[in-house]
Amino acid sequence: MKKSLKPVAQKRAPADRVRLLLFITSLSVIFITLGIIQTLLFEAITFFREIAGVRGWFSFEFDPKGVMSQTGLGAFLFMLALMMEWISEHRRHYLAIISEQILFPPSWALRSIYALLIIAVVVVNSMLLWASTVALVAVWRRVAKKHMLRGTGNIDQTDRSVTIALGCCLFFSLFIATTEHYGGAFGEFFFQNQWTPAGACADRRSLCENMNFGVNSLLLTTLQVAFGALFFAVPLGVGCAIYLSEYASPRLVSVVKPTLELLAGIPSVVYGFFAFIYIGPLVVELGEVAYTNGWIDQPPNILNPINGAIVVGVMILPLVASMSEDALRAVPNELREGSLALGATRIETTLRVMLQAALSGILASIILALSRAVGETMAVTLAVGTVAVYTSNMFLPAQTMTAYIAQRVGGDLPFGEIGYLTIFAVGLYLFIITLSLNLLGNKVLSAYREAY
Amino acid sequence: MKKDIDTLKKRSRRRRDVVEQAGSASLALSGLVGMFFLVVLVWQIAIPTFIDGENGEISAASEFIPISDYVLEWDHPNVNEQGDLKTEPIVLTIKWEGQTGAQTHDLEIVVTANRGEKEDVQISEEGLSTTSIEVGKKTKFYLKSVLDVPVSVEQRSGPVPAADASGNPHVSSFVVSGDVAVLISNGSAVFEPLEMAGWTSLLVLTFIVSRPTERRLAPLVHCYGRERQIRGIILLLAIFTIVIGQTTLSAFLGGLCWLLFGVALLRTIEGMERLQNQGRSLTEVKRLKHSISDREGLLLWSRMLLVSACFFIPLDIDIPFLTERYQDIFQPYASGIRSAFFGTVWVMSIAMLVSMPISIGAAIYLEEYAAPTRTTKLIQALVTNLAGVPSIVFGMFGLAIFVKQGGIGLGLGPSILAAGLTMGVMAMPIIVLASQEALRSVPRSLRESAYGVGCTQWQVVKDHVLPSAMPGIMTGSILAMSRIMGEAAPLVVVGAAALVLFDPEPLAALTGGNLNFTVIPIQIYFWTSEPEHAWHSMAAAASIALILLLIAMNSIAIVLRQHFRKRLNS
Repeated sequence: MKKSLKPVAQKRAPADRVRLLLFITSLSVIFITLGIIQTLLFEAITFFREIAGVRGWFSFEFDPKGVMSQTGLGAFLFMLALMMEWISEHRRHYLAIISEQILFPPSWALRSIYALLIIAVVVVNSMLLWASTVALVAVWRRVAKKHMLRGTGNIDQTDRSVTIALGCCLFFSLFIATTEHYGGAFGEFFFQNQWTPAGACADRRSLCENMNFGVNSLLLTTLQVAFGALFFAVPLGVGCAIYLSEYASPRLVSVVKPTLELLAGIPSVVYGFFAFIYIGPLVVELGEVAYTNGWIDQPPNILNPINGAIVVGVMILPLVASMSEDALRAVPNELREGSLALGATRIETTLRVMLQAALSGILASIILALSRAVGETMAVTLAVGTVAVYTSNMFLPAQTMTAYIAQRVGGDLPFGEIGYLTIFAVGLYLFIITLSLNLLGNKVLSAYREAY
Repeated sequence: MKKDIDTLKKRSRRRRDVVEQAGSASLALSGLVGMFFLVVLVWQIAIPTFIDGENGEISAASEFIPISDYVLEWDHPNVNEQGDLKTEPIVLTIKWEGQTGAQTHDLEIVVTANRGEKEDVQISEEGLSTTSIEVGKKTKFYLKSVLDVPVSVEQRSGPVPAADASGNPHVSSFVVSGDVAVLISNGSAVFEPLEMAGWTSLLVLTFIVSRPTERRLAPLVHCYGRERQIRGIILLLAIFTIVIGQTTLSAFLGGLCWLLFGVALLRTIEGMERLQNQGRSLTEVKRLKHSISDREGLLLWSRMLLVSACFFIPLDIDIPFLTERYQDIFQPYASGIRSAFFGTVWVMSIAMLVSMPISIGAAIYLEEYAAPTRTTKLIQALVTNLAGVPSIVFGMFGLAIFVKQGGIGLGLGPSILAAGLTMGVMAMPIIVLASQEALRSVPRSLRESAYGVGCTQWQVVKDHVLPSAMPGIMTGSILAMSRIMGEAAPLVVVGAAALVLFDPEPLAALTGGNLNFTVIPIQIYFWTSEPEHAWHSMAAAASIALILLLIAMNSIAIVLRQHFRKRLNS
């Protein structure tokens, strides 16, 4: 009797072999990631070493007078924000001194401040100053929230990420403000603004004097296109999501959602063709109006960042719409019903309850869409042009990072030449930007999923 | 005077209502505008293919170039020997902004069969030197302008320069008419009888099984006990169909029809026997269907085969643009995307062969086996983030690992194999994520009941979890495939060629053949970069072909999903 109760000798060996096999297949993901990083890093280091052999690694001149500039003001604002944050974390009792009226101004004042911030993007010359102002306002609202929540035990005690981020921004802006004339491999690549990798020299392999590797001219155009795309895609996409999740009938949704999926599947080169043939001439007409009125000082070109921004906006529209709709649907129905039961109208419920509740999900969709827009290649190659010069006049041709890579490898590149190495340096920079955006977006998304 | 609070409230409430209605309407509108914009976009892409005329501009003359010109040339005459017009008259509209205001002139062109006969047109302030000219076929002639303003040339009617003898431009024959022949073309049947027989039998069987009645099923009763003969006969028929049809696509599909017909027939007979042994009526539709389409979805497969084979067997649709013509560097409208089409097919097949087993294995490991250790979490995070890496970075990875020799490079060269491997790596994270989603949606009770009857873990996965997750995995894989099919960026980096005038060889990197290849998105990219308008029309045509292929693939995915979802629910 006892014998039969003993477990039969288990034939686990084949199962374990399967397990091992499957484990190895999943390890291939790590190999691919390592492969990508290794490739990019290896060639990029070779690139920097080649430049450093001629021009040194990094050099700059110290100039304390720069503190008085706009960037210096930005650094000061960052410092203020950092101090506020620090006090609110570690010397909480000082907060009682600040009057409630400063922490909780009337809503019209808050709204006008937000509106001013949005308008200031266009007006302010220095992006850093604008960013520091935004950070200051954000910290101010954060402190107010903490003040409101004090004593309820809802405050996250160990949130140091904001302090660290503000510290990094402060350090960076102080560095920018007090130094100038960057040189050397890194100084040139990250701080200069001129991108002429194909200098005219006799020997194509070597580095010559009139070659410049300031990747900022590519990066700024990329950001122009990506944020321009968000400018088009976010209102339309979020509007679409709100309409689909709050207003549209289920029948309409069942038709529209697969359509959105189909549109998300249209290849980017087709969008690029569309931009080249149709949007370009339309934008040029707009630019002609601006030119005749004297708003811009050079006549518009058919290839320009606005063109790229519109078409990339259309490309990321389905992404924003479907992810925001998912976020809105994930909000528990009780919130909606509770709000309606209190007598709020549908639009009030949508704007003040549903949007607020789904805000971080929508934010995640926007961040991921931004990452997609930064990494978009064929459409911008066909729409933005091939002139690697950054201009604030968005009607002139420019070149994004991805477009540079695509254009550069289009010709036959010998292995190991400096032009071949530049694409890996640019690619590594692009990879780091998109990877950090993805990490951030996925973190926000998973936090949102946990919340509901 | 005291304010009437009630009235005030009412008034403000009414105002608020109006504002809110406007607000919600504008929200809905912005959503609709977004969707409308996308729909318009697709329509706009389709339009350039219908613009077939000659459009251009004669640049302004200057002191350095006193006469600027515009070359025109028609391939086929548009009059017969008697001099009567065979087609619409060719009329060009020539416009410019002169000193005395805008000027518009029409120029009629008659193309005769006499090669070499030509007549140039002078454009000056007074207008055109003539309003009607006669030129020979395949002869260049010039519009010469001495004006210091640009002159626009636009064709209003008539056949375009690269039209064929009947006056139709080649590109329209791809988009509009197509060479469709139903059963009989040029006096002879367009199908092999065996293929047609296979297709028809499958059609009839599918119809009978979908709507069985006693009378329809009666003939099948005679087949009881003759399974071996049936199997042999149908195998022979399938082989004959393929051999006689000289292994063309339609013959292959015909053979497939026969095979599927055989399997479905045997299943049906078996199911009928079982039903009758249980003493049930043959017309219990649900049971019969269940017995023949138990897990493999035979009915679904046969319907899909019927639909896809109907384009090749009874209808015999022939799209020369896609499968016959190579690129013609001198005549844009006579070009096709044959090499790009086959390049796409090969690249996709290699990518799927490489990536599907690996990614499904990884998904199974992550979902079914892995404990939540640090390694597992790392792999999961890497998969999620790899899916968001820009495609061009994957291209650079492929360039360094697969294309280049030396270091860790495999040295495959800019070949289809290297491109397929690169695309496979790109598709991997997408397939892993979709498969994980599918595996996660398999109910827990299924696993637990299988463990409960003593299955090992691998048996549970192999026999219970995988089959019910398969539709989700297939859908995800097809969607990943359609995504990489439209990607051009990685292949630009890997080194796809602009001009390929032969069918690509998939294993050229190993056998030492010609490496050059191209795919449809790359072809669109290079055609869009060409300066001439005609190439843009061809790019539009290729775009439409690509979008139609993608839509076909996506609809297969959607049909699969709907079918299996319905089955799981019932």
